[in-house]
Amino acid sequence: MVNYSIVAEDLTYWYGDLVAVDSISFQVAEGEILGFLGPNGAGKTTTFNILIGQLKPKGGKATVLGWDIAKDAQKVHREIGVCFEVTNLYEQMSARENLILFARLFGIRRFDADSLLERIGLGGRGKEKVEQYSKGMKQRLMMARCLVNQPRILFLDEPTSGLDPVSAEAIRAIILEERERGATVFLTTHDMMEADKLCDRVAFINQGKIVALDTPHDLKQSYGKRALKAEVAVGGVNEYREIPLDVEGTPEAVRDLFSHNRVVTIHSEEATLEDIFIKITGRGLEE
Amino acid sequence: MNWRSIGVLVVKDISLFFRNRLFAVITMLGLVAFTVIYFLMPSSVDETFEIGLYAPLVPPALEVIQEEEEGLEIIMVESEDSLQKGVVDGEYLAGLVLPDDVMDVLLQREILQVKVYFASDTPEEIRDVVDIIITEMVFLQIGQPLDIEWNEEILGPDMAGSQIPQRDRIRPLLAVMIIMFETFGLAGLVSEEIQRRTAWALLVTPLTVRDLFTAKAIMGILLAFVQAVLFLVIVRGMGEQPLIIITSLFMGAVLLTGFGFIMASLGKDILSVTAWGLPVIIVLSIPAFGVLVPGAASDWIKVIPSYYLTDTIYRVSHFEASWSDVWGNLLILMGFNVAIFSVGILALRRKLQ
Repeated sequence: MVNYSIVAEDLTYWYGDLVAVDSISFQVAEGEILGFLGPNGAGKTTTFNILIGQLKPKGGKATVLGWDIAKDAQKVHREIGVCFEVTNLYEQMSARENLILFARLFGIRRFDADSLLERIGLGGRGKEKVEQYSKGMKQRLMMARCLVNQPRILFLDEPTSGLDPVSAEAIRAIILEERERGATVFLTTHDMMEADKLCDRVAFINQGKIVALDTPHDLKQSYGKRALKAEVAVGGVNEYREIPLDVEGTPEAVRDLFSHNRVVTIHSEEATLEDIFIKITGRGLEE
Repeated sequence: MNWRSIGVLVVKDISLFFRNRLFAVITMLGLVAFTVIYFLMPSSVDETFEIGLYAPLVPPALEVIQEEEEGLEIIMVESEDSLQKGVVDGEYLAGLVLPDDVMDVLLQREILQVKVYFASDTPEEIRDVVDIIITEMVFLQIGQPLDIEWNEEILGPDMAGSQIPQRDRIRPLLAVMIIMFETFGLAGLVSEEIQRRTAWALLVTPLTVRDLFTAKAIMGILLAFVQAVLFLVIVRGMGEQPLIIITSLFMGAVLLTGFGFIMASLGKDILSVTAWGLPVIIVLSIPAFGVLVPGAASDWIKVIPSYYLTDTIYRVSHFEASWSDVWGNLLILMGFNVAIFSVGILALRRKLQ
């Protein structure tokens, strides 16, 4: 039997006349990484804020670790770690002091800030004031802060947004390590590559509604185009040939391609998550 | 209530407050500056009337008056011109010119022509005093006693001989100003917590919104209250009833913390907090200035909450007022505290949401 860490039922939220989250339902299993994908203004952050107890849903219900977040936020907060999109560290304090402050707020008596800083690649920099850190270092520290209480669920809002590739990769590695530890991860992003790399399942959210929810593989299977794309040399000029994979006669077509042409490159053609999102919603993730 | 987390937050806030050079300098400088101002103010009241006199011949009666009247000093001047200059320059409260034939006129009981010079801003009371001195001198000189019976009735505290020196008069004003200045620090700290969105990071820990507000309130009250008490201890302003003074200062700190919350909810950063806060602080300072300049403000001043704070401290430290004298003030102050503090919390809560 699957244990669900997060269960959202008909969640609804609106700002004035604008419906930001429109009756969405989903579950996140224990130890699963769920990616919430959508363009800016799609309702990702509003859903995120409802799930971490900073907004009360105007309709529906969200249960986190079995507790109704609208009623038992304090109990939920003891068990979760939250990394916000906007950097919100105490910049006049050092990295160590930031971590120790939050450890104390969680009531942790014995806390090893240095080993956590080491783990996120900030070893030896812990005594520096955060205001002297680069954006990538600050984001790593944000990530470290949400790990202070060894949370059962990590809520990450665009954790790699605007980061250099090295910092982004370091944060992705930590997310995967946390999953290995057994933590559940709820991740909002508009980076489909990141979602593809990290997530067990992804939900596409558009105009407050979930328009698709599945594993990246199955989404590609369902919505993508399955074909082989080959580059062949014909009389000194390179041409492209496409062979559909799921039709009768595919084996003959492949054999024929190699028999009668000099094949320069060949690869299977898969749709990206962004292609699928555009196909479903008619709009891009960067909009 | 999560008191352990509240304690952690208060320690963090105090540490951040003193790491912010602006807040730290304002706090330390404020305390030192107000103490220095207090000690620079005159510590006693000069009650001597100095009257300039130009008279070629001084009637003996005038010398008698000067000897008998405590607090009256008649200074002889060599010419009418230097007398006029002395009055204009404020050396004398008034200048008298007696004619050459003053003794003949008095003895023949003719009309005495006396010229009196006053500065343009001389109060009416001083003019009356000079009139009395001349009239008394005339009667002394011609040997006829005055057939007047004086009945004095003192309304309010008898201040004769015990007027309050400027430095003591300004004391409640300085104590209240210290509390008010700390409001800026608190409001700046809270608005920064909102501007940098660190408040939201705190609220996804076991800390609740109520815990957060409690921590901020404790921080604000502590900062303002401790400094004001420290100041009054340094300047020996606790009077005979230190408990009433401490209670008043505590209630004042609560009131100003409420205003600090309102300012923090209105401003986006320390600059806009200062912009919103200045008019508030100016209005709240009016009762304190009213104490400094008696008669400068009328009854409307009682709609300003800080009036009840200033008035209580002033009456207790100078007139030995007791609980029974000031309980009304403290009750009204408490009412204002509840109202302002509630508005502050609501405004801040709204901002957080």
